[in-house]
Amino acid sequence: MIKRLFSRVMHRLQLRESWIIFFVLGIIMMTFPFLRIFNKPVTLFGFPLMLLYLTIGWAFSIFVIYLFMRSFSSHNKNPDEKKDE
Amino acid sequence: MNTGIVYATSISALYTAIIFLVAWYAHHRKEIGRSIVSNPIVYSLSIAVYCTSWTFYGSVGKASTTGIDFLMIYLGPSLAAFSWLFLLRRIVKISKENNITSIADFISLRYGKSLWLGALVTIIAVLGIMPYIALQIKAVSHSFFLVSGLPADDIPLTRLGSGAKLPTGLILAVILSIFSIIFGARKLVSSDRHEGLVAAVAFESLIKLISLLGVGIFVTYFLFDGVTDIFTRFKAFDPAAFDRLFTLDTSSRNSDSIPTFTMLFLSMGAIMLLPRQFHVMVIENSDEKHISTAMWLFPTYMFLINLFVMPIALGGILTTGSNQGADFFVISIPLITGNSAIAQLAFLGGVSAAAGMVMVESVAISTMLLNHIFMPIIVRCTPQVWFPLLLINLKRFGIFLVIMMGYYYHRIVGDSYMLVNMGLISFSAAAQFMPAMLGGLYWRRGNKAGAIGGILLGFMIWFYTLLLPSFSKSGWLPTDLLTEGPFGITLLRPTALFGLSGMDLWSHSLFWSMLFNISTYITCSIMLKQTDKEREQVSKYIAVFERERGYRQTEQKRLSKPVTKAQFVTLMAKFIGEAEAQNAISLYGDSRELNSNGAVSEFELPNLKRHTEKTLAGSVGAAAAGAIVDSFLSDMGSRMESVYDIYSTVRASLDQSRESLFVRLKASEIINRTLDLQIIMDDLLNLLLKEFKLDAAIIQLKNDNGTVSVTSYQGANRRLINENHWYTESTPYIDMVYHDKKAHFTNDARLASNTLSLERTLAEGIISFAHIPISREGEQAVGILSVFSKSIAGLFTQEFINLLSSLCGQLAQAITIVHEMHAKDRERDQKERALLQHARVLRDMEIAQQIQISLLPDSAPEIFGCELAGRCISAAHVGGDYYDFFLRNENTVDLMIADVSGHSVGAALIMAEVRTLLRAQVNSAHSASAILNILNGQLHDDLTRAELFISMFYAKYNSASGKLSYSNAGHNHPIIHRSGTSACIELDTEGLIIGVKTSVIFEERNIELVSGDVLLLYTDGLTEAFNSEGEMFGIENVCAHLGSVAHLSAREIIDSIFDAASAFTGSRTFQDDISLVVLKIN
Repeated sequence: MIKRLFSRVMHRLQLRESWIIFFVLGIIMMTFPFLRIFNKPVTLFGFPLMLLYLTIGWAFSIFVIYLFMRSFSSHNKNPDEKKDE
Repeated sequence: MNTGIVYATSISALYTAIIFLVAWYAHHRKEIGRSIVSNPIVYSLSIAVYCTSWTFYGSVGKASTTGIDFLMIYLGPSLAAFSWLFLLRRIVKISKENNITSIADFISLRYGKSLWLGALVTIIAVLGIMPYIALQIKAVSHSFFLVSGLPADDIPLTRLGSGAKLPTGLILAVILSIFSIIFGARKLVSSDRHEGLVAAVAFESLIKLISLLGVGIFVTYFLFDGVTDIFTRFKAFDPAAFDRLFTLDTSSRNSDSIPTFTMLFLSMGAIMLLPRQFHVMVIENSDEKHISTAMWLFPTYMFLINLFVMPIALGGILTTGSNQGADFFVISIPLITGNSAIAQLAFLGGVSAAAGMVMVESVAISTMLLNHIFMPIIVRCTPQVWFPLLLINLKRFGIFLVIMMGYYYHRIVGDSYMLVNMGLISFSAAAQFMPAMLGGLYWRRGNKAGAIGGILLGFMIWFYTLLLPSFSKSGWLPTDLLTEGPFGITLLRPTALFGLSGMDLWSHSLFWSMLFNISTYITCSIMLKQTDKEREQVSKYIAVFERERGYRQTEQKRLSKPVTKAQFVTLMAKFIGEAEAQNAISLYGDSRELNSNGAVSEFELPNLKRHTEKTLAGSVGAAAAGAIVDSFLSDMGSRMESVYDIYSTVRASLDQSRESLFVRLKASEIINRTLDLQIIMDDLLNLLLKEFKLDAAIIQLKNDNGTVSVTSYQGANRRLINENHWYTESTPYIDMVYHDKKAHFTNDARLASNTLSLERTLAEGIISFAHIPISREGEQAVGILSVFSKSIAGLFTQEFINLLSSLCGQLAQAITIVHEMHAKDRERDQKERALLQHARVLRDMEIAQQIQISLLPDSAPEIFGCELAGRCISAAHVGGDYYDFFLRNENTVDLMIADVSGHSVGAALIMAEVRTLLRAQVNSAHSASAILNILNGQLHDDLTRAELFISMFYAKYNSASGKLSYSNAGHNHPIIHRSGTSACIELDTEGLIIGVKTSVIFEERNIELVSGDVLLLYTDGLTEAFNSEGEMFGIENVCAHLGSVAHLSAREIIDSIFDAASAFTGSRTFQDDISLVVLKIN
């Protein structure tokens, strides 16, 4: 079940649209309405909230790209070809 | 001398040596073909040239003054990495295909190899990068003093006197220049990858990462007790600062605080658009696949390098007590705490970061300078032998110039800005390329005017709102420019343009420059048209992946005057040297097919030209390469001219355009509509004239006797074709086409007239023409289609010729079909005529038969005491058999039977003649032999002429006396059956057949007939009738049968004999005419 879900996610990640969605999502997370949520002088486990948000968010985005690349190279398809399909 | 200097200098020297070693090793590995640079990790590390000393020192500085927002500069590129798979891959692909050397090259090539655009981008890059290089020099020289412990910017040279100082910044600049020249400008070909440079940069990236991580770990875990410890202590030290640094500034009007979005946007642009980033990511990319690894590895690198920035910044404040000199906390913290080894490590990292950036940047910019500033001037001069030498030295000079400009900016602006802010000036400049770049990649309409206008306006606003204030703040320009505006116009104050105040410097500049840049780009692109040159490039950029999938690119240009391959080689040799030129051309030759005699075909020439341009572009940039080749061609008297686009502009990515298909469709309609060749040819020519704007079209076909004649002639001012017609001048071409069975075309008759006299054709105004054989595949041509154009040179493209040939093939098919049908028609006509003829003959023969039958006596005369009957059955319509009775008196009757040889009409005519002659004798009292004699005499000549003979038996019977006197001219002997006897009596007399000799003596005999005698006269058809076994009916059978039917009446005897004969042969018809006459004595 989990395996199937994983392969489906991997398959979705190959789509060019997914890339753009993640790209746009990243920009939204980096703009103010969203940043304002974390823009508070609060600490969590001794870490400032904003620092935590940015660091974890960043690490997560790198992980997402890594997943993208894995799914991409495992199917080894050209995304620019995909768009015309 | 201070020991610190010695220490710092020796570390720098050692480090330099290591870098050289790495670069040399990488170069060596490349030479032996086992590159260490060509792998995704090195590629990712080389992209990390993005992290300069700005990152190394400036991040900590910014973190400790404005707080966490410094991360935006790294989050931006990290986000941008999402787009690399389609954006960067596309750029890399295009660049490889076109031998792109720099970002200026890339942008100017997209907009029609514009020299102006290339120069503009270069100028912006040079000016924009100046603060950035200044920043590196500032950082390194400053850190040098920190490490060496000197108080000022210059090294005092005490030995040379107290006043002598050595400006370290200058020394650094010179060293960096030499470094860059060695790594980046050893060769001229800049589209080639610089493996040594990349290796050095990647190694430096590694050093700076290790160095910063080292300092971070030292500060966090040795000076303090982990990250949380620093945070807790800092919160206790200055709670307000803690809250300020860890939240993003939203309200403050402080000009140092930059909105996150501005930083995010600028850094996202910078990662792609800074000349050095473009250089390492695109030009130095060895394999597109490396991009996918770099997409996550490069963000990881940035993540790691920034991990300890915040702790170092806070630790620095805690250690020093304030954020003064925060830019150099990385070095000063270890120094203050007495860990000079860590400080040396930090110094090394800083030097690495700066050196890597300066090297790549200066190489990239000097390439742009050479290709877009120097080259356009050089190409105007005549190429010389020493050009390659000049070019490489110009490039080296460019490197030197770029670094020195940075140095002087550093001297002018000095310390007035923080490191981060100086870097952001460069980022803003690079951002000006973004609209033209992205638009060029994804928007077809984007044009040169828009790109130049947008970049120029954006640049001017950048210059006015960012660079000028930076000069101004440093005191180099009067500050009242900032506060009062130029000439006192407050509306035009650089920092509050058009009254837009209350915004930080960066967002303000970004807003206005982008607004003008993007709107100008879009407006000009929509309002103005693209030139041909641009349109050619657009497809290369927009459809780069489509073309990969094998869609054929149709040639739209041709060279008006052919240029040989050798001439191209000579041209290239002047710029890149003989060896490289030969190399390039052989590369071309391998991938292309040359026509049989080794020359380059007309359709291949534009490709060769493009290849030459591409090769040159690798050294001098696309815009300059285009200019070089163009000026070379114009010297030759040749130029690229538009191929007349026969199929209009609609050019689907199908093999055939819609227009071509339309013409084919129309043509087949014409061909199938009728079988009248004349109409087909006239209509077809008119179709060609109409669709392709030709001026004359002629079809000539081969006649049956092998001569050719014009069968259709359509077009303007038609006139009779005689030997004075201009068309006759094309005869040699037509002969050639017949001979080669291949289309021949001349795209410019003015040039062809050298070899062949075409005076009258040219006088007629014909510029281009083509002759196409009308033939089916592999067969001899049945004719020639000739088309002529008065208006368009270069009309005949491969595509067009193919279309015409295919139409000719269809026409040939139609001609063949029509010819075959005509032949069939003729045959059928002949057959019909023959049948008709036959029927007529048959009818004639039937009439003749009727007449012939009517010539025979319709009934036998009746004489007392005997019974007569006669009957003739002819095998053919008319025959040569004849019998007759002549009643002399009531007791005497003459009976005769004759057979004219053959069954022809001739025989029938002779028979008629015999009858006429006989009838004339009826009233004479001649004897049988006398009558035969007379007949022989009269008929001899006629028979000899007709080559016929007659056999005849003539008898006279007197019923009163019962005497039968008879004479025979070679006829079958009649037989008599006498009742009571079984044998028959043969009436045998001497006599030659009639028509052999003029005088013949016929014997006459007599026989007494008694009652019951049956005399049978017959022709040889009866006795010679044969059955299927080939047996003859024979006289015995006749005799026997006669005996068996003697009791019947004469008529019945005849019928029964016929029945017996047909029973014998087994058929109702006989092979020969059979005539029977029976005389029965009662």
